[in-house]
Amino acid sequence: MENETIKQAPLLEARNLTKVYEDGVKALDNLQLKVHPGEIFAMLGGNGAGKTTAINIFLDFIQPTTGNAFINGIDANEDPLEAKRNVAFVSENVQLYPNFTAMQNLDFFVRLGGKNSYSRNDYENALVRVGLQRDAFDKKLKDFSKGMRQKCGIAIAILKDAPAILLDEPTSGLDPKAGKEFTRLIGDLRDEGKAILMSTHDIFRAKEISDHVGILNNGILVARKTHAELAGVNLEELYVEYMAGYMEENIEEGILSNDLI
Amino acid sequence: MFKLIFLKELKEIIQSSRFTISFAVCSVLIILAFFMGAQNYLASQSQYEAAIQENRNQIAANTEWMMVQHSIMLPPQPLMALVNGISNDVGRNISMSNRGELRADNTRFNDEPIFAIFRFMDLEFIFGIVLSLFAIIFAYDAINGEKVSGTLKLCFANSIPRASFIAGKLAGSFVGLSIALLIPILIGAAILPILGVQLSSDEWLRLALIVFSGLAYFGLFLALAIGISAMTNRPSNAFLIGLVVWIFAVLIVPRASVLISGRLDEVPNVDDITAQKNRFRAQLFQEDRPKMSNFKPDEGTEPQEVMTQFSSFMRELSSTRQEKIDAFTERVNEEYINRKNRQEEVALALSRISPTSVFTLASTELAGTSLGLQNRFMESAKDYQNIYGNFITEKTGSEGHSGFRMVMVTTDDEGEEPETLDPNEMPKFEFAKTSLKTAASNSFLDLGLLVLFNLLFFGGAFAAFLRYDLR
Repeated sequence: MENETIKQAPLLEARNLTKVYEDGVKALDNLQLKVHPGEIFAMLGGNGAGKTTAINIFLDFIQPTTGNAFINGIDANEDPLEAKRNVAFVSENVQLYPNFTAMQNLDFFVRLGGKNSYSRNDYENALVRVGLQRDAFDKKLKDFSKGMRQKCGIAIAILKDAPAILLDEPTSGLDPKAGKEFTRLIGDLRDEGKAILMSTHDIFRAKEISDHVGILNNGILVARKTHAELAGVNLEELYVEYMAGYMEENIEEGILSNDLI
Repeated sequence: MFKLIFLKELKEIIQSSRFTISFAVCSVLIILAFFMGAQNYLASQSQYEAAIQENRNQIAANTEWMMVQHSIMLPPQPLMALVNGISNDVGRNISMSNRGELRADNTRFNDEPIFAIFRFMDLEFIFGIVLSLFAIIFAYDAINGEKVSGTLKLCFANSIPRASFIAGKLAGSFVGLSIALLIPILIGAAILPILGVQLSSDEWLRLALIVFSGLAYFGLFLALAIGISAMTNRPSNAFLIGLVVWIFAVLIVPRASVLISGRLDEVPNVDDITAQKNRFRAQLFQEDRPKMSNFKPDEGTEPQEVMTQFSSFMRELSSTRQEKIDAFTERVNEEYINRKNRQEEVALALSRISPTSVFTLASTELAGTSLGLQNRFMESAKDYQNIYGNFITEKTGSEGHSGFRMVMVTTDDEGEEPETLDPNEMPKFEFAKTSLKTAASNSFLDLGLLVLFNLLFFGGAFAAFLRYDLR
């Protein structure tokens, strides 16, 4: 799968992306990454590592200090409206309008995403696909659990049918069953050819489904491994080592930059 | 995109429990205001009719026009009951004399002093105080609430222009909440005729303009609250700021402007003016006393003729004195009115910083209960005074000057009582209401300011949101 798609143009690309906040904190330092159609790129890293900052730049919520973020070849900060037509987003804690039913929320957000031709049947199929019980379709979101809301969020992303998907810690706080279902869905979307950039703390799930895993530490992408490279590697240990700063010295000395970055 | 956001906002508002509660409270308050207004009007109307009848009875009980103590009354108007303005503070009765100063007495608060403390719950109160606060309560978290809940981020993960989002939100909130106001207002307006209050087409138009100004006033607070929400990250902060702004705009600025203008241009109070006039009157009388003492009829004049000469002398003296008093009074009054008007102009100009003052001025002007009510009543009374003076002079031969007058009543040989007076002969008092055109023209500045405030606050909310951190 990777070999088939690698030649295609990346749908998500960070080019020398750097973000320094007003208080002087460098959240991203020269981030380079590409996500091609049919790929999942998982960004691992602790709190404040820069994962969400990268996603926020792709969504034009913040401007990069230097560098560019491209969605389907469109600069996300130069032409955000056009760029965002090509991306769907699922946040860590999907919060929809609590007084709307699942159907009403779906209808609103899908139309907001530019899809106006769906019928109720299409919405139902999407909700069934994400595993939401039928009796919940017309219930108000305020009565939903986090897992159910996440399912609605992914249903919205499915219906938007954008070529790229950004996921910001989508499995955080989900129970194991819901997390597994979510992973299966992400895998299905990848198989449909979507380019998925996912930030996560979930090392095991990242290893399980990702085509690429990148480790961010203090805004620097300190490691990048393909799915094949991770086979037989204890990713948890690797992650801890990187996060402990073990590899930073080597990066500075240029030892790891060629084979890992 | 605008339509989608607008409809979402509308739907979200209507489905929220906040809307249900507000709608219920607004409905009760507004319908109650109409109901109470109608009851007040009907009560005032029957009091007015009773007072008119009593006046007529008093005329009819007399046999001499000179003995009549005629009063005129301010007729109640339905819109006065819906937008009280100063109508309860203005004296409703004027004891008529064919010369001299007129004074309006017997305000509504004389009868019901408790309302002087607690005031009536009229439409102006409901819009000015209650609904402006509701607007803040409704919209303080319009933007930052969505940010905190995460829906804002999810919305803007799509290709929506910020301008469409904020415009849809502003319009949706305004229309959604206006529904909550318009339904009870329409019900209230519909029950007026059922309760026996008949409005003329002129009054219906005025009421429509009052409602329009009320909605504009409500809309500007809504835009203000949304603007504050788009300038803060936390709903609690937005609520606090909104509340402080509301307190200043609604409660402090209108009162402070009157206090400040009072300091800037001090005007003597009515008691000082009255005392000044009384002193002058007493002084003139003292000056006339020696003249009165020195009155001597011609030698050998018949007693009847002496009385006639004395009467003529006193009348002349009184007339001269009255002319001086009138001139003095006019000068003092003019000076007082000019200074008072200057003070009022400063107060009104300062108070117009507050949208609440602007709304109050617009609605009371349209209802005919603005500061001009008292002047109009007094002007109508003065106009009537001339008619009344001519009538009394014609009936009594007296110009009604102060002084001494002896009346001798005789009966004919058969001992029949003289005929009593016909009250229908008394000229009718007509209170000159402002025309709709004049009222609309007088309130044009304030209606324009309300629209301007709306544009300003909508623009502010718009600009704030364009720079809002969506994360």
